[in-house]
Amino acid sequence: MKLGKCFKHAFNMVLHSKLRSWLTITGIVIGVAAVIAIVSIGDGMQQSLNAQLNALGGDIVTISPGFERGGGFFQMRGGGDGGGSSGPQATTKEIVLGRSDVQALKGIPDIALIDTNIRGSVDVSYLGKKGRISITGVDQSVWSQITTSKIKTGRMLDSADQNVIVIGGRLASSYFDQPLGINKMTMINGSAFRVVGILDDQSNSIYMPIQMAYQVIPEKTNGIYDTLVVKIKDENFLDEVITKIQDKLMIARHVTQKNMDFSVSSRKEMQQARADTMSSMNTFLLAIAAVSLIVGSIGIANTMFTSVLEKTKEIGIMKAVGARNRDILLIFLFNAAFIGLVGGILGIILGTILSGFMPVLMGGLPLARGTAIVTLNSITMALSVSVTVGIIAGIIPAYQASKLKPVDALRYE
Amino acid sequence: MAGDIIETIIELQDAWKIYKMGEVEVPALRGVTVEIKKGDFVAIMGASGSGKSTMMNLIGCLDLPSRGSIYLKSQDISKLSESDLASLRGKTIGFIFQQYNLIQSMSAFENVMLPLEFLEYDEKKAANRTREILKLVGLSDKMQYRPTQLSGGQQQRVSIARSLASDPEIVLADEPTGALDSVTGREVLDMLKSLWKEQGKTIIMVTHDLNLAKYAHTIIELKDGEILRISENHEVKDPVFKYGD
Ligand SMILES: Nc1ncnc2c1ncn2[C@@H]1O[C@H](COP(=O)(O)OP(=O)(O)O)[C@@H](O)[C@H]1O
Ligand SMILES: [Mg+2]
Repeated sequence: MKLGKCFKHAFNMVLHSKLRSWLTITGIVIGVAAVIAIVSIGDGMQQSLNAQLNALGGDIVTISPGFERGGGFFQMRGGGDGGGSSGPQATTKEIVLGRSDVQALKGIPDIALIDTNIRGSVDVSYLGKKGRISITGVDQSVWSQITTSKIKTGRMLDSADQNVIVIGGRLASSYFDQPLGINKMTMINGSAFRVVGILDDQSNSIYMPIQMAYQVIPEKTNGIYDTLVVKIKDENFLDEVITKIQDKLMIARHVTQKNMDFSVSSRKEMQQARADTMSSMNTFLLAIAAVSLIVGSIGIANTMFTSVLEKTKEIGIMKAVGARNRDILLIFLFNAAFIGLVGGILGIILGTILSGFMPVLMGGLPLARGTAIVTLNSITMALSVSVTVGIIAGIIPAYQASKLKPVDALRYE
Repeated sequence: MAGDIIETIIELQDAWKIYKMGEVEVPALRGVTVEIKKGDFVAIMGASGSGKSTMMNLIGCLDLPSRGSIYLKSQDISKLSESDLASLRGKTIGFIFQQYNLIQSMSAFENVMLPLEFLEYDEKKAANRTREILKLVGLSDKMQYRPTQLSGGQQQRVSIARSLASDPEIVLADEPTGALDSVTGREVLDMLKSLWKEQGKTIIMVTHDLNLAKYAHTIIELKDGEILRISENHEVKDPVFKYGD
């Protein structure tokens, strides 16, 4: 029988197949959908990470007190929730950043700007509603040039500012009963502050001049900083400048590489660390997806075995009217491949839908904000994988079918 | 004299078929030797269990003998490769079964065309041939029907059409009327007869009904897997002698 004809008969077999075959297909559908969703979300995140890397912060370096932890430069960012976290926190009481460190940094010519930050959690009230919110004190004369946040309405902090704040988008719109708009007054730890700017983000953060922050965060002492944020002149020399900063601070703080009590990290490194985490997470999820593909293929093999049994009589008839072993083998192999293909196509559709929803589901994670991208690559991959899986699962049953003796097959009821 | 000129189309030489059922060996055929002439109408008769179907399967190359040889058109079938044997079978032999054995998911048209697809006929030629044959058996108007939409007699006619699709020299029919009422059964028999008389096909039919066996020219009687008697029915005008004259 010609190949095209074998195809036609295999296709008709799929069309006439029972519910059971369709259930089998589900296994493949889920596997492929998972692969597609994971790969496309991964691609999407990669792209948005790259975009972030390129768009902003390539020239920003952050210095924090404390010992560097094993893996990378993990640190709590934007979290005034200072207390209650793990190990190094206990030591930050003694290990701090101070004026002398700022002084040392000022001696590095590659540095353009230095922002000094402190953080804390304080009570904020507005129109009778109260909440505990993390605030960041910043050097308002340079903050607007260093921060990567964008203003939506109002303005950034200014050198002359005192009792004013810039707040995150969510805090403005929905934290309190009433929206907290521009020029509205809030009480922060007993002092009145006026909102001058609202950021274009979804955070609950508050930024204020650092001198005011010392007043409203009781546990912070003047001249002690939580982090120093540095903008360098040329981001192409990022790595060199980081080394210079480390060297300079080690001298100023009388420490060596071994007992270094501060860490210097760049946004780039942090993004990199995140990207690495992402990719290992992706690998993990892909492994799960692979398992479901394997389970799916076992399902196909199972269905194929049953279908060979069911079609034994037909195989006998076909052999009686001139089918060669090869014809039977091809018809059943193509049949298995078709099951894989149909599963693959449905899986791609489902996976595309899923990957559209996934960023919403994972919305809490800042990393997951990138939109998923279903690439031609992942479609081709998914289809070839599912067809291959179908064929592999179908080989043994198809071979068995082809080897049936015509008399035995015809006798089968 | 005539016999010397007439070609032997199938020959069984001391053919044995022994089925193994676990420890037990069931000898279904015990040393059958017979020659079937091209253009003959043969009825294989015998009681149930006498080995008729077993012999039919060997003649049709659906099975190989446990011992002995089978020659189809002078070729020892045990020496042919699987695919050559399949093609030879497809080209030379058409099968008609008691239970019709049509493929349920296919229309009458597709069922009849199937042998031609295995023989890799050109698509157009195959379709034309299929239509022609279905017309011959009087089913032109039912070509797109599935077996379940047809009566028993109609299904058997589809099955006859299928057996004729590749224009084989031999038509094998194992109890072709077994599932039909007597009127429809006779129609089928008439059809076989005209294939024999008008198209010169070799017809081999299994039956246990003496009335049906009367249609045949040669009658082979089996008993317990052995040939009891081979007789010629002289009331049937034998077209074979046309070749001999
Ligand atoms: N596949 C088989 N396995 C075991 N025994 C069989 C098989 N086919 C036929 N037989 C036995 O061989 C004998 C002949 O069977 P069969 O050729 O079908 O007889 P008939 O067609 O004349 O009724 C019977 O005893 C039957 O039980
Ligand atoms: Mg029988």
